[in-house]
Amino acid sequence: MAPADLHFQVDIAHWGWSIAWFLWFVGIAGMGSVAYYFVRKAALSYVIFGSLAIGLVLVVSHLGRWWNLPRTLWTMVTNGIFNYSSWMIIGIVLLSVHLLLTVILVASHVRWLQRIGWLKWTGSLAKASAYLIVYAFLGFMATVYSGFLLTQASGIPLWNTSLIPVLWVVSGSIAAIAVIELMYVFGLIESSVSTLAVRLGLGLDAIKLLAVLGFLHVALAYGSAGARIGATAMASGEYALMTWGGVIGIGILVPIAIGLYTVLVKKSKPLLAISSIAALAGVFFLRAVVLLAGAWEPLVL
Amino acid sequence: MSTRLRKGQAPTKRMAHVWDASKCIACGACVLSCTSTNNPDMMTREEKGWHSVASNIRRIDSVTAQGRPEVLLVQCQHCEDAPCLATCPFGATYMDDNGMIRLDPRMCAGCSYCVTSCPYNVRWFHPDSKLPKKCMGDTCLELVADGLQPACVQACPAGARDYGDLNDPDSSVSVTLRTKRSRRLLENAGTEPKYFVVEGS
Ligand code: SF4
Ligand code: SF4
Ligand code: SF4
Repeated sequence: MAPADLHFQVDIAHWGWSIAWFLWFVGIAGMGSVAYYFVRKAALSYVIFGSLAIGLVLVVSHLGRWWNLPRTLWTMVTNGIFNYSSWMIIGIVLLSVHLLLTVILVASHVRWLQRIGWLKWTGSLAKASAYLIVYAFLGFMATVYSGFLLTQASGIPLWNTSLIPVLWVVSGSIAAIAVIELMYVFGLIESSVSTLAVRLGLGLDAIKLLAVLGFLHVALAYGSAGARIGATAMASGEYALMTWGGVIGIGILVPIAIGLYTVLVKKSKPLLAISSIAALAGVFFLRAVVLLAGAWEPLVL
Repeated sequence: MSTRLRKGQAPTKRMAHVWDASKCIACGACVLSCTSTNNPDMMTREEKGWHSVASNIRRIDSVTAQGRPEVLLVQCQHCEDAPCLATCPFGATYMDDNGMIRLDPRMCAGCSYCVTSCPYNVRWFHPDSKLPKKCMGDTCLELVADGLQPACVQACPAGARDYGDLNDPDSSVSVTLRTKRSRRLLENAGTEPKYFVVEGS
């Protein structure tokens, strides 16, 4: 029987689809930045920039009082108030620096910009290993942040597990690999890189499958009533189709099947395109379902 | 506006709400007086997420295993270790020197982090200002500053509500909590709530 006090956060706090898209874009940009260390292609830097920019526009437009943001920031600065215990403010700082470094990276790839004398430094800076290590680290941290953002929301027990940042990093890596495979489909990178990406993707898909099942199991078996309500909504309730069909079926099993076919039989660009899009969709569904299933601890059962 | 405490500062007072469930007749006067006092524009509008009147007091109706109807009234607990204060990215949520968790509307961007961080689900968004509302409302704060009791305490016909300083051993709330059996909600959440449910003598 449903508890007397049953409320899903999406109905009150409204962290729904636009936040799911935001988390998805941050995952692509974040782990894409790690991938950039190994695959230094212009197209990847454009994808990272686009993802970050769209993600930030989405999250700002989702603010109930976005129009108050300049006053908010002004009051913060003039009063010397900085709540560094909030993952959200840590994330804002991380994403701003990440965006700045991405703009430099993009500029280093745009030929006509490199012809402008005072912008040439971007080209040399963006090639420096130290820069790319810092960039990859920031991307990783941005992905981790997007997980801890939920973990710290202590009103929603389903989210209060460090499995979420782990899931976000693993699935973000899968999204970055999917982008690399799509780049191969469009002839933007060599076949050898994509073969390696497919093998790596297979391993990560297996880890993601275990992590998703582990997440559900921990919440169902050991979680509080609120965590169990969320996990039940995911596993057998309102969001079961999104979990089993979207996250696991489309997002994990399809890429695993195509990945195995690619490794064991032959490589096919149309199949790799399907697998990449399925993997990206699965990464989105995962974020959406975890958000939508978030419920408060009932104060009365 | 009363003093905003900075990290590490302790409030001089620890103002707390006490609700005596054993006296409450579930008339709902406190719920409505809260709205009419603090958010009169919401008197005829619904809080869509809670499917109830938009009030800083949330009413939960249930039935016990024995079939007896029961009510629980919940509102901001003014937690001493408030998760909403820890997560608010812009410092809009703060504790004042009375130990009350307050909102500075100038600094709120409406991100909802305080709403998802509150284990008690007591914040609701005003549909026009998009501010995360909760107890105490602005008018109640004015009442208290004038030495009066908050609207809910004044409205209660059963004398089931009280508000006072836990640091003062002679305050009515301290006396009640010393002499009657009470509990706090989600005691294990680590929030150190200052809302007490009196269960009997
Ligand atoms: S009850 Fe909720 S809104 Fe009130 S102080 Fe505690 S966490 Fe914050
Ligand atoms: S909605 Fe306002 S008060 Fe709540 S966390 Fe966001 S900025 Fe802070
Ligand atoms: S006004 Fe008093 S008696 Fe009526 S519901 Fe509120 S606490 Fe209970």
